Amino acid sequence: MAFGDAWKQISWFYYQYLLVTALYMLEPWERTVFNSLLISVAGMAVYTGYVFMPQHIMAILHYFEVVQ
Amino acid sequence: MGNNVPHYRPRGEDSFEQAPLYVAVLTYMGFGIVTLFGYFRDFLRAVGLEKCHLAQEREEQKDFVPLYQDFENFYTRNLYMRVRDNWNRPICSLPGPVFDLMERVSDDYNWTFKFTGKTIENVINMGSYNYLGFAENNTDFLKTVADKTREYGVGVCSTRQELGNLDIHEELESLAAKFLGVESAMTFGMGFATNSMNVPALVGKGCLILSDELNHTSLILGARLSGATIRVFKHNNMQSLEKLLREAVCSGQPRTHRPWRKILIMVEGIYSMEGSLVRLPEIVALKKKYKAYLYLDEAHSIGAVGPTGRGVTEHFGVDPADVDVLMGTFTKSFGAAGGYIAGSKELVDYLRSHSHSAVYASAMSPPVAEQIIRAMKCIMGVDGTSEGQRRVKQLAENTRYFRARLQEMGFIIYGNQDSPVVPLLLYLPGKVGAFSRAMLKRNIGVVVVGFPATPITEARARFCVSAAHTRAMLDKVLLNLDELGDLLLVKFSRHKSSPRPELFDEVDFELDT
Repeated sequence: MAFGDAWKQISWFYYQYLLVTALYMLEPWERTVFNSLLISVAGMAVYTGYVFMPQHIMAILHYFEVVQ
Repeated sequence: MGNNVPHYRPRGEDSFEQAPLYVAVLTYMGFGIVTLFGYFRDFLRAVGLEKCHLAQEREEQKDFVPLYQDFENFYTRNLYMRVRDNWNRPICSLPGPVFDLMERVSDDYNWTFKFTGKTIENVINMGSYNYLGFAENNTDFLKTVADKTREYGVGVCSTRQELGNLDIHEELESLAAKFLGVESAMTFGMGFATNSMNVPALVGKGCLILSDELNHTSLILGARLSGATIRVFKHNNMQSLEKLLREAVCSGQPRTHRPWRKILIMVEGIYSMEGSLVRLPEIVALKKKYKAYLYLDEAHSIGAVGPTGRGVTEHFGVDPADVDVLMGTFTKSFGAAGGYIAGSKELVDYLRSHSHSAVYASAMSPPVAEQIIRAMKCIMGVDGTSEGQRRVKQLAENTRYFRARLQEMGFIIYGNQDSPVVPLLLYLPGKVGAFSRAMLKRNIGVVVVGFPATPITEARARFCVSAAHTRAMLDKVLLNLDELGDLLLVKFSRHKSSPRPELFDEVDFELDT
């Protein structure tokens, strides 16, 4: 039951995403292209954050002389 | 009062609420994404990876001057085609308060359609201009129309000036003049042609036309055909109009500075895309001050506003003799086809011999003329029943109810409180298509409009309330709109309305009567 409701809610969010970005008007293969581009760009951003965030945080703390 | 101060009736409330900023941003983003995909698809078509469904030149003609301008149809090809199934839906019954649609499907994303053979029945009609419900096929009401068809046939086979001037046309014109409260009227077979063919007869080179920003294409076409200078003032904005009038009267014609031969202000009674009412008392005051002429196009407002259905002149309490040229159409409130121009006898007599429409266009068909006569007699009460007045009151009540309920639900509605045209703003291009399809699934037919008929950020659904809609039908539509508004998230209004009803009927101060 809970999964059914959660699935309905996610489905409604996906529908809103399609409406707002006007993907609703595009054909299914175009939606796939756009979604793949979006996910790959977002994925690359997350990966870059994961790789570089520790270094950036250490640099900031070093600048404010919280660590040596 | 004894002096000549004209007493005008108060104007209902106007509302043109602006949506929050994020809506405009998302609209542009949506258009941007679809445009990018449009370029991509055009590239695929040019390269040959995708089949092109549009007209293309033959191989032998590729070196000639191009016949089909590719880029101009970009919008049609890449945006309109994707959601084309929401327009031009074939109707297979009369366009009354409910109608039947033919069901159609498309296999190739709206490039071609196939009929399944089924009919979608009893769809509530919220799009037809059937304001007083005269689009009906009740045999009692249409008895005179059937008699006239038997007497005159259907075709006239001539123009008004040659052998097409039937006695039924004379009867219709004198009735129209009486209905509007003017000296004389002339009728034409087509409403669009009434504007586009008669404005050139009234003004010419050396005249100035001051036209509202949102005037209908027929008025713009007539103005351009006439050869007069056209200046546009901001929609319903009297300061803008006065500035243009002052400048016109002071400076005169562009290079010679001679005074203008005529200054004609062109406005409409109800603007069909905005639902706004003209500011008639102010325009009449301006026109008298600067000695200009007024051309009022009452296509949507005749029969639909005013306590007895006589249009915006009656609604505001303006004397019809103050408006120089009263124009209107019979397509909307009278359930027929055609248009009229009314005014002083000299004006109409001049138009009878100088208008292109009168001289060259074929005359109005007799059954159509009889339908207008019986509708007008019904509204005026001449036929002995109070059916006409009942319909006018029913329309006013339906309009107020529908608008009030939509506003309290939280939708953004444009226009004046008393106008039966109700545009509901959708803004985002994706929601426009989704809205129309979802409403059809719920058995309600609506008209959605987008760019280029409206500004690019303001796509809307336009409802036309009719006197033939019962309270039950309106409630069904409102219920579905409520649900759909929550499902699609189109309730953008930021005006909070109180859930508590009005607690008192009287005011606690004295009102002067």
